[in-house]
Amino acid sequence: MRSVRALLVGTAASALLAGSAAAGQYVDWNADGTVTLKLGPEYDNARITVPQSMLGSAFGPGKQPFKDVTISVTVNGAGPKGGISGPLYSFRPIWEELSGGKVNIVELPFAEHYTKMMLDLRNGTGQYDAFMVGAFWYGDIVPAGYGYQIDDLMKSGKYPQWSYDVMPPSLKTLHQWEGKSYGVLNDADGQVLYYRKSALENPEHRAAFKAQFGYDMPVPPATWQQLLDISKYFNGKNWDKNDPDPDSGTVLHLKVGEQGHYHFQSLSASFVINPGDKVTRTQNVYWFDPADMKPLINSPGHVKALEFLQELHKTGPAAQVGWSLGEAWDYFLRGKAVFVFSWGDVGALCQDKARSKIQGDCAAAMLPSSNEYWDFAKQAWVKLDKPRQVGNTTGGSWHGVISNYSANPEATYSFLSLMAIPPVSKLMAMYGWDGVDPGFSYQFLQEDGGTATLDEYVKAGWDPNDAKTYTKAYKDLFYAPTTLTYLRIPGTFEYWDILDKNLSAAMSGAKSAKQALDDTAAAWEGVTNRIGRDKQLEDYRAAIGYKE
Amino acid sequence: MRWTGRIRFLFLAPAVAWVLAFTIFPLGYSLYLAFFKVEQKVEIKRVQQPVLDERGQPVIEDGQPKMRNVVLRENVTTSTFIGLDNFRRLVSDPQVADAVRVTLVFLLLAVPAELVLGFLLALLFNRQIMGRSVLRAIMILPIFATPLAVGYVFFTIFYEVGGPLAWTGIPWLSHPGWALVSVAIVDIWQWTPFCFLVILAALQGVPDDLYEAAQIDGASNWDMLTKVLVPLLTPTFVIVLLIRLAEALKLFDIPFAMTGGGPGTATQPYSMLAFRTGLRFFDLGYASAMAYGLLAVVMVVIMLFFRRMRESYG
Repeated sequence: MRSVRALLVGTAASALLAGSAAAGQYVDWNADGTVTLKLGPEYDNARITVPQSMLGSAFGPGKQPFKDVTISVTVNGAGPKGGISGPLYSFRPIWEELSGGKVNIVELPFAEHYTKMMLDLRNGTGQYDAFMVGAFWYGDIVPAGYGYQIDDLMKSGKYPQWSYDVMPPSLKTLHQWEGKSYGVLNDADGQVLYYRKSALENPEHRAAFKAQFGYDMPVPPATWQQLLDISKYFNGKNWDKNDPDPDSGTVLHLKVGEQGHYHFQSLSASFVINPGDKVTRTQNVYWFDPADMKPLINSPGHVKALEFLQELHKTGPAAQVGWSLGEAWDYFLRGKAVFVFSWGDVGALCQDKARSKIQGDCAAAMLPSSNEYWDFAKQAWVKLDKPRQVGNTTGGSWHGVISNYSANPEATYSFLSLMAIPPVSKLMAMYGWDGVDPGFSYQFLQEDGGTATLDEYVKAGWDPNDAKTYTKAYKDLFYAPTTLTYLRIPGTFEYWDILDKNLSAAMSGAKSAKQALDDTAAAWEGVTNRIGRDKQLEDYRAAIGYKE
Repeated sequence: MRWTGRIRFLFLAPAVAWVLAFTIFPLGYSLYLAFFKVEQKVEIKRVQQPVLDERGQPVIEDGQPKMRNVVLRENVTTSTFIGLDNFRRLVSDPQVADAVRVTLVFLLLAVPAELVLGFLLALLFNRQIMGRSVLRAIMILPIFATPLAVGYVFFTIFYEVGGPLAWTGIPWLSHPGWALVSVAIVDIWQWTPFCFLVILAALQGVPDDLYEAAQIDGASNWDMLTKVLVPLLTPTFVIVLLIRLAEALKLFDIPFAMTGGGPGTATQPYSMLAFRTGLRFFDLGYASAMAYGLLAVVMVVIMLFFRRMRESYG
């Protein structure tokens, strides 16, 4: 992670050779028609050299197209070196030098961001030009007309050049609404499994595991049931020698009001989703029955998955019921758990020696599959002969959406787009601290159908084995034939909040799995009725691609 | 009335305007929201307008007037009368019942403990002890701390892996029951000093003659406490109790920062539910009905408080 500059399109060296036609503090316009963007120490003073055309025709030496314009962008508060907010700080001075404008970064606590955004939009205040949104907010933003459509700006050629073509379809759809574009590429979220390869391949542990469970320990586990066995085996043993204390099986981040419910979504997908070529009432559905908007969340598949999660929770520290992302990740990075399933940040953070003790022993794989699923059509359990892994885009895939109230959408778009050009996006995904995770073709290795090379990751400070499994896990995840459908209808925030509260109650033992999900379903009915069943049905069908 | 008489109304005007704007209007508007379903749509139009200089003249750049984007918006609001629907929902909503239960359990845990501890500390400080004034000043410091910050500080204190109380093995924040106890402990820590301060003031107002008379009559320390002090201080206890009840009913900041209302809804008090309903899910009508429900309960407590005040102090 220390010598990133060499992996970039064009190198600083080539820029120096070319000579600078106009050198600035943060931007050099080179005589050979390239331009060098100069980053600060948070990105190891990386230099990104790209053709001038990649920045669009609006920018150039001596041009400052947005002089005296100030734009405001909201983001989850994490500071100048924090997830998602960090890159805004890093690219602000570059954009300000390019454009002559100013960027006001408005950090809001995660729990308050949605509220502040919606208050601004509903009241028409227009205080903010853009929001770094989670894709699950789209249902509340776009149908109400609060989002600014960016298709024309993308086509204009005036602003930094990037494209949805680098995205897997499962991610592309999160940036659009009914074929129109709103989101500027930034982050790609989905949960994969991280595991301690050395522990799973240790001959002593393998022998002991086989003696206890009667089968060879698979590396990585192919089914959730195998993962639970392995997790049980390792829990309570001091299998990691970083400290003298006993270690855990699986660590989870389950704090209510945060991102615990995503664990359930990712895990339960393979218990619930019925495969098929298209979306029907029983195939490729997870949230609601697309015929009548009745919740499916308390189906036997969902209930069994939650019971499974409760079991899995017992193989981790009890305190994780109150843990946020950072606490669970650090537990894994300190070598205290054999498994964590979470976002791309973990793989990149494993490479950060200041925070991780497990670089080189941080393998990743697509999430396992359940060995059975609930068949909605037959109303019965179906045993699987071989695992059927289900992809997910669980999370926010946090990215910029421009407010329809913005008086300066062009300036705002050009700022957000500056962070979306391929060399920048590629660089950001290689760093763990910035919260920008991989999912685009130039971040996948050539052997997996992408355009990146292993050498680039190694030069960026990655362990080659970690990088290989990491990028492959994400490629497999986002291109899986069956994927968990993403909920982004009006009220999604509320539906998920209700689910989150009930899941937390189940994980802390206050409710049984069935009770928690029955309560969720009942409360969801209330929300659907309040917002309007017909309207919700229409939006839900459009969101999941269901046709009668 | 002469102008000098009328001018007093002028001086009152800012205060009246303040109260109207920030108390009466929100109260009235939230009542309106509780009875109407309000839907708002915004229509947006973009126009370009010339940039003007200080003299009001268009700024010319490259021979052309410099233009700026202006967003014009028109709010279209529709409201439908829905009668008592929101209030009916209030009595049948299991979330409300759960939040009321949490609030009541919290009240039972925190308020009596604050009162008893406050009284005991006041007794201790009502005698000559070394460094009394310094200790008293330290004792009342928690009152001045911001509850939100207190919540975050205690989150780290109750942290179960490596936190200063981890040695106890108690699942302070991860167990539904213990999490509510933890919230109550923090509230007790913060508000016992208030009870202590008020009761100490009352204790110091007890005339020495009464102690002396009781001693002459052969009263033991216990008799002095139960037969002299407690009856004398009862009006103060009631006032402190009512103030703390009214405040504790509005509990929000500490669980918001410390537990987020969790695990599940184990520490989600009524105010937090109303906040989430209104400002997370924008179900403003229902949130207003919830707020009025809380207002009604707090009003009863306040009325009892004032009645008690009148009885005690004429």
